[in-house]
Amino acid sequence: MASNTIVERVAVDLSHYPPFDNLSQEILQELAASVSVSYHDEGEVIFRKGDDLRECAFMVMKGAVRLFEHFDDNEVLVDLCDEGDIFGVRAIFARQDYVMTAQVAEESLLYEIPVDNIRRLFREHPAVAMFFAAEFAKSVEEIDHSLTEAYRRSAGSSIREHACRSFLENETLEVRPVASVTTCPPDISIQDAARIMSEQDIGSIVVVSPEHHPMGIITDTDLRKKVVAVPGSIKERPVSDIMSSPVYTINEGKTIADMVMLMVKTKLRHFCITADGSPDSPVTGIISEHDIITSEGNNPAVIMKALMQAQSFEELKEQRDKAEKLLQVYVEQDVAVHFIANIITEINDAIITRAIGFSLTRLEPERSRISDKLPEFCWLSLGSEGRREQLLRTDQDNAILYEDPAPSDAEQVQEYFLQLAREVTGILQECGFVRCPADVMASNPKWCQPVSVWTGYFRKWIQTPEPRALMHSTIFFDFRPVYGQSKLASRLKQEIFAEISRNSGFLQFFAKNALQNPPPLGFFRNFVVEKSREHANEFDIKARAMMPLSDAARVLSYEQEIAEYFSTPERFRRLSTLMPDMKDLLQEASAAYEFLMRLRTVNGLKSGGSGRYIKPETLNKLDRQMLRNVFGAIEKVQKGLTLRFQLDYIRD
Amino acid sequence: MIRSIEKVLAEYRCRKGALRSEVCDYLRAFRRKDYLDTHVDEARFVVFDTETTGFDTSRDSVISIGAVAINQGRISIDDSMELLVRRASIGDREAAAVHGLLSRDLSDGCDEAEAALAFLVYCGRSVLVAQHASFDILMMNRILQRHFGIRLMNDVVDTASLAKRLEKGPYYNLAHKSGEYRLDNLLLRYRIRLHDRHTAAGDAFLTAQLFQRLVSKGKECGILTVRDLLLR
Repeated sequence: MASNTIVERVAVDLSHYPPFDNLSQEILQELAASVSVSYHDEGEVIFRKGDDLRECAFMVMKGAVRLFEHFDDNEVLVDLCDEGDIFGVRAIFARQDYVMTAQVAEESLLYEIPVDNIRRLFREHPAVAMFFAAEFAKSVEEIDHSLTEAYRRSAGSSIREHACRSFLENETLEVRPVASVTTCPPDISIQDAARIMSEQDIGSIVVVSPEHHPMGIITDTDLRKKVVAVPGSIKERPVSDIMSSPVYTINEGKTIADMVMLMVKTKLRHFCITADGSPDSPVTGIISEHDIITSEGNNPAVIMKALMQAQSFEELKEQRDKAEKLLQVYVEQDVAVHFIANIITEINDAIITRAIGFSLTRLEPERSRISDKLPEFCWLSLGSEGRREQLLRTDQDNAILYEDPAPSDAEQVQEYFLQLAREVTGILQECGFVRCPADVMASNPKWCQPVSVWTGYFRKWIQTPEPRALMHSTIFFDFRPVYGQSKLASRLKQEIFAEISRNSGFLQFFAKNALQNPPPLGFFRNFVVEKSREHANEFDIKARAMMPLSDAARVLSYEQEIAEYFSTPERFRRLSTLMPDMKDLLQEASAAYEFLMRLRTVNGLKSGGSGRYIKPETLNKLDRQMLRNVFGAIEKVQKGLTLRFQLDYIRD
Repeated sequence: MIRSIEKVLAEYRCRKGALRSEVCDYLRAFRRKDYLDTHVDEARFVVFDTETTGFDTSRDSVISIGAVAINQGRISIDDSMELLVRRASIGDREAAAVHGLLSRDLSDGCDEAEAALAFLVYCGRSVLVAQHASFDILMMNRILQRHFGIRLMNDVVDTASLAKRLEKGPYYNLAHKSGEYRLDNLLLRYRIRLHDRHTAAGDAFLTAQLFQRLVSKGKECGILTVRDLLLR
């Protein structure tokens, strides 16, 4: 005759959380009566890996419990349970001992629920059974993931990619090459080759040397474009005359991710597999665009192709919308962030390129009128797009850089490029890239200038660094050529390096600027949220977490004179090879930034915005825990900068 | 002295068969006090609370008893009890307002003597725990004396005194700042979520959670056995 008041109290507590939130009063009370309530101080161990299974599962009523695994000498956090979370479900299903250790992270009140009573619910309540089965499966899976990460880390290989588990890379979704490759010697006639193709109903023949090494490839496109279009008796000529050569050769065992990247990069549609991956070994197989596309329904290469063939900018927008859906799929599948970022950047760049193409065509009359005066130009992306990090469509930041014209033509030339920029930014706007609120766009005369003026801008920023101006100029330091003469961009970059080396104090100011946004100190349950009314109780992931890291990466990249147009994670990775004393920290920062990119993208896709403001309560435990680690990394990076540039001596 | 005379008398009546067997079993359990050297995590504690018609120990009486046991450091929900005591009147209006108990509820309750017996059976020789325990013990003893001529023989821990002892040491004068050790304040201080305050069982459950924390804190100060806890 247990006390009704107490049983009901416990039943109400249980009913707040799944899977007990849908049980009848009667069932709940029966379960509640079986509960034991235990209290644990911080640091107490509930069970250890290898301990015999207890007769109960645990629900956290108050406090927090961390579950971890040991790997070598490192603790690997698998899960962090707070109010309403259940752990120790292994006791329900398994017979062996615990595979993790549960330790109290914060003084906790636990409800211990006997496993017999939980099992008894299963027959009548399949939903409860499902819940526990899923929890059990999840815990196994999470151990798996955490251990893979830990292994990767301890093996010292490449990068830590905590939360960005790469679906495509890990799942060995290998593209199976066609092994029965049809080949021919270089001297058979084009006509014969065409006949073989139509008889065997194939799209390509690999042209091989007597040793069976690939020399070239002849495809139906080659036949159509090079043969059919040409009048005369070309059909009697040898295939070597029209074959595409050399063939792009690869190793066996490429994943879809590899192949998609390769297609996007090379814009080729056939890849030849050889014994050792080089053109100097025998052909063993072939992978065509078709094989890749059929391996995976939703394909960036298809989008790229459609973009390249688009006849109107409405089509560009349509493809960009498709890319966003693709992004969603990738994010859901936990595809590695650097892979996603590369794909989306290539797509964005293609859109810009096409937009410029359309605009050039439209301005053709104007251009032919002054073509002798027009210098070469380069379209620059700035800011996050310049860093190849723009996953979601945020605002446009761009500029035009052109060779200095004759002084007498200066005005006319600038007017032409401004006209071009207005067309392009207009199309981009139609495609969903909103205009930059600060008007940092190529259509603004200030940012549509010849090399000499751009060099002057940077010289001014570097020689007389003024905190406010510097803060606004950071996006320019992330410029990247997207269209046109990229040599103009690299010349500008070299000018900047030279100017920086002449002005020793600049990097200190630059570093100081990077420290403007310290990360939140505490986070777990005392989240730092924004005060402004519009975003009250939200967390500004861009300003609070991403900017401190991207700023730091930029400063160090300019210090180390890294000429490549890298993303923040790539910058950190390169820096980690250049600065061995900070290697671990820089690698950590790289992984941290990719985690943040993913988190922001997930949030943006969910809320339909830029993803910049995150509601803390929408984060799951693991993300919260990760974010806490990220803040730790940011703090260390900022400390590193302070030491390196001796910023303690600079006064504001 | 009076206690031991009472005990001798009661045992005599037991042998004569003049006392209810439940009372005799209860008394017999105390022949040995070997539980004193039990580790605090191994002992059984009964945390209880009574609601009364008022705070005058000579006039007011118990209207409900709530209790929950702590076994091996865990509050066992099914090892709990809750009794309403049948009364003709429930005392003054204020008490009714506090407890939320109306005379209708109380007419459903059980007879005072039966309630006391059930409590004895439930407690056995477990250490009793209550907030400001002396009041509840006194109220229970009045019933037991009236019907059976005995008093509770259990060792008792007062959570307010224990908290004071752990926070300030054993010689702190509680009288000056008694407010600090009221149940509400203690619950707040030990971060226990308030629920069902002012029902006997609800308060007993909250007091049990408080006691768990105090025992945990006590272990840091070397209070490891029941004997340490009772300052024997």
